Amino acid sequence: MKEKGAKLEYIGVDDNGELLLDQLDSYLETGKVKLVAFSQMSNVLGTITNTEEIINKCKKSGVKTLIDGAQSVPHMKVDLEKLDCDFFAFSAHKMLGPTGVGVLWVRKNVLETMDPFHGGGDMIREVHKYETTWNDLPYKFEAGTPSIADVIGFGAAIDYITTIGMDTIRNHEIDLTKYALEKMSQVKGITIYGVKDVLKRGGVISFNFHDVHPHDVATIVDREGISIRSGHHCAQVLMERLEVAATNRASFYIYNTKEDVDKLIKSLEKVAELYKL
Amino acid sequence: MSDPIYTEIIIDEAKNAHNVGTIENPDISQHDANPMCGDDITLQMRINNNEISDIKWHGDGCTICKACTSVLTQMVKGQNIEFAKNLKKEEILSELGLQHLIKQSPVRIKCALLSLKALKLGLYSYLAKKIENSSSVDSLKEDASKLY
Ligand SMILES: Cc1ncc(COP(=O)(O)O)c(C=O)c1O
Repeated sequence: MKEKGAKLEYIGVDDNGELLLDQLDSYLETGKVKLVAFSQMSNVLGTITNTEEIINKCKKSGVKTLIDGAQSVPHMKVDLEKLDCDFFAFSAHKMLGPTGVGVLWVRKNVLETMDPFHGGGDMIREVHKYETTWNDLPYKFEAGTPSIADVIGFGAAIDYITTIGMDTIRNHEIDLTKYALEKMSQVKGITIYGVKDVLKRGGVISFNFHDVHPHDVATIVDREGISIRSGHHCAQVLMERLEVAATNRASFYIYNTKEDVDKLIKSLEKVAELYKL
Repeated sequence: MSDPIYTEIIIDEAKNAHNVGTIENPDISQHDANPMCGDDITLQMRINNNEISDIKWHGDGCTICKACTSVLTQMVKGQNIEFAKNLKKEEILSELGLQHLIKQSPVRIKCALLSLKALKLGLYSYLAKKIENSSSVDSLKEDASKLY
């Protein structure tokens, strides 16, 4: 970015973690914006971004859009044709697939204007001593021997979750999240982050418990059989905005049940007991 | 069942940590952090005649980090530099019954040993500054390479 002289700007969020889209309007008005990048669902707060609105605004201003779907694609129905964005990325390991592979989808007419970013087998059509021509799409971007087994595994994972049905998965998570938010907000000393409306969020719940450091909470509940994530979730900028060093995050998927939520709450009682809270 | 971590001793040690504060114009001031989890501490020492006459620390961290830092400062306060230089991780951990972290928790061991790392880094930087000839630089380097 420095090389190209590009400047990075952020769209802020309100106290619930929802994007302040008025700020997007002001940025677009400058006429200097080249690319708007955002996640469709926050992996920290679960916030579902109003993706259509952002894309429509950007399209009106002739600005390209890049969407991080790593958190959204595994948990809700996403229709790329309808969204009509320019770039869209998601990862296999977030949707029961293998690690190390994912999808970067790029609109064809955008791809055609791009040069390969690294070299290797398969990407080349003709090689002469001083000149090479690139292979057709998508090969020119897929240099080297691909991770074939992992991609096939990824395909199996996609088949598996689409057989269950993305709406079924989403509804299951809405149920669980609603139940968990209700139960967890009754726990003394808990702070829950993000919007309260379950239709506006996915199945992750970030929280803090009294002033116990999230790493301590996570280790204690882990030993009670509940795995949660603790830390900054690769979102240090958001942590700063929330004025916390780190959070705990409970996250749900198709295999989770209400009993798991009860168990989490019970294990928080264990934290309270150890810390005499 | 895994060995206990969150014993009353550790939680109390972290809550009522010793030697918290700052030293004005310290001889050694060493900051260190675990970027992945947010433990972030500064150790400060006053050195008199090769002795750590005072040590204080401040910062933010989890219970394990705080408890171990508190214990470490108590162990080295009033001791000579040689003693602190040779302090082993096992000695700190066993003070709190946490030796099992070495094998069982590669993640949390970093919280437990952050202060020891800062202590050694601080001491070695201090010693390196006072060195006159190159042969002692080599022996200091060799010494430091055996730390972990
Ligand atoms: C929203 C989001 N985007 C991107 C990533 C990174 O994906 P990957 O590790 O496959 O690069 C993650 C988590 O790993 C995520 O939660």
